[in-house]
Amino acid sequence: MELSVVQNAVCTFCGCVCDDIELHADGQRIVETKRACILGEAWFKHHTAERLYPAALIDGREASLEEAIACAAEILERADLPLIYGLSNITCEAQREAVWLAETVGAVIDSHTSL
Amino acid sequence: MVLVDIRETPSAKAADIFLQIRPGKDFEVLTILRALIKGQAVEAEAVRPTGLTLEQLQDLAQRLKKARFGVLFFGMGLSMTRGKHMNSAAALTLAAELNAFTKFVAMPMRGHGNVTGADVVLRYTTAYPFGVSLSRGYPRFNPGEFSTVDLLVRGDTDATLVVGADPGATMPQPAIEHLRRTPTIVLDPKVTHTSRLAKVHITTAATGISAPGTVYRMDEIPLPLRPILHSPYPTDEHVIRSIRQTIQNRGGGFLPTPDHLQIA
Repeated sequence: MELSVVQNAVCTFCGCVCDDIELHADGQRIVETKRACILGEAWFKHHTAERLYPAALIDGREASLEEAIACAAEILERADLPLIYGLSNITCEAQREAVWLAETVGAVIDSHTSL
Repeated sequence: MVLVDIRETPSAKAADIFLQIRPGKDFEVLTILRALIKGQAVEAEAVRPTGLTLEQLQDLAQRLKKARFGVLFFGMGLSMTRGKHMNSAAALTLAAELNAFTKFVAMPMRGHGNVTGADVVLRYTTAYPFGVSLSRGYPRFNPGEFSTVDLLVRGDTDATLVVGADPGATMPQPAIEHLRRTPTIVLDPKVTHTSRLAKVHITTAATGISAPGTVYRMDEIPLPLRPILHSPYPTDEHVIRSIRQTIQNRGGGFLPTPDHLQIA
């Protein structure tokens, strides 16, 4: 098993975004966190590199990534007023893509800030 | 540290002063504080419904003005009660007006990892921080009209892309029903409550653990992520880009392209 250590890892569980975490991983999962709080430790250990879920679901049935992307594109393109919501647990790079997509389909774009 | 809440939470132990106000009186308290800070006369009778006394608010007003650098942290309790966005606006106005006397800032308390990033990115791309409608091809901002809960409860939208959120677990029931009624697409590292009522779910890599990129801390400091695991799933960034490219490659999309514009 390939062991790895990352210094000064960034925790994205909450808005504090601690950037001094030390992570130890065995390639599949994070086995140790240093300087993370209870919430941060649970967050890091909760996500693994395993394939626990299907790549995609359409109407609850397993589908390929390509099929799901094509289906999503068709839904958003057909809609009169699509909404893009969330954006809170993704990177700024992904958020920029979301704005571009919103502009392309004429959507409303909104985050948890509106709650 | 002064804590204002409708009930004595565990944070009250850490506070130097705890002020317990009546539920739904946020706007009144903030507005009275704004008056006191400017030295305007306030009658004790006007303060009574807030659950505080005039002396308590006068004391707080003096403390705010005397601070060398003050921060007003506010949470979702402010915008989720009667008055909604007007309460947040009153808090921001109070912090702005305090700058006539001292340095003062206001900062929303954040629950999720990169909500601040969403504010920043939306601001520099559209000029507005959230609730932005691009349905006319240019950005329009109007909380209450273009905020998600309002849109969903009224049933204004006819498709939803949910990224990095699980509204199916947290939103009011009428909003959830509308997500179920209309086609919903979910991008998430896990199959969530929202995924179960969605038409399409796509599994993506977890931000910061297997997906690289930038996130903003609550005080708007950008930080680069250092992912440690290799996910078998694509990143949100990749999937969102692929959806847009699929639409554009089909010649679809909402905005007219130069080819479609004909000048007589």
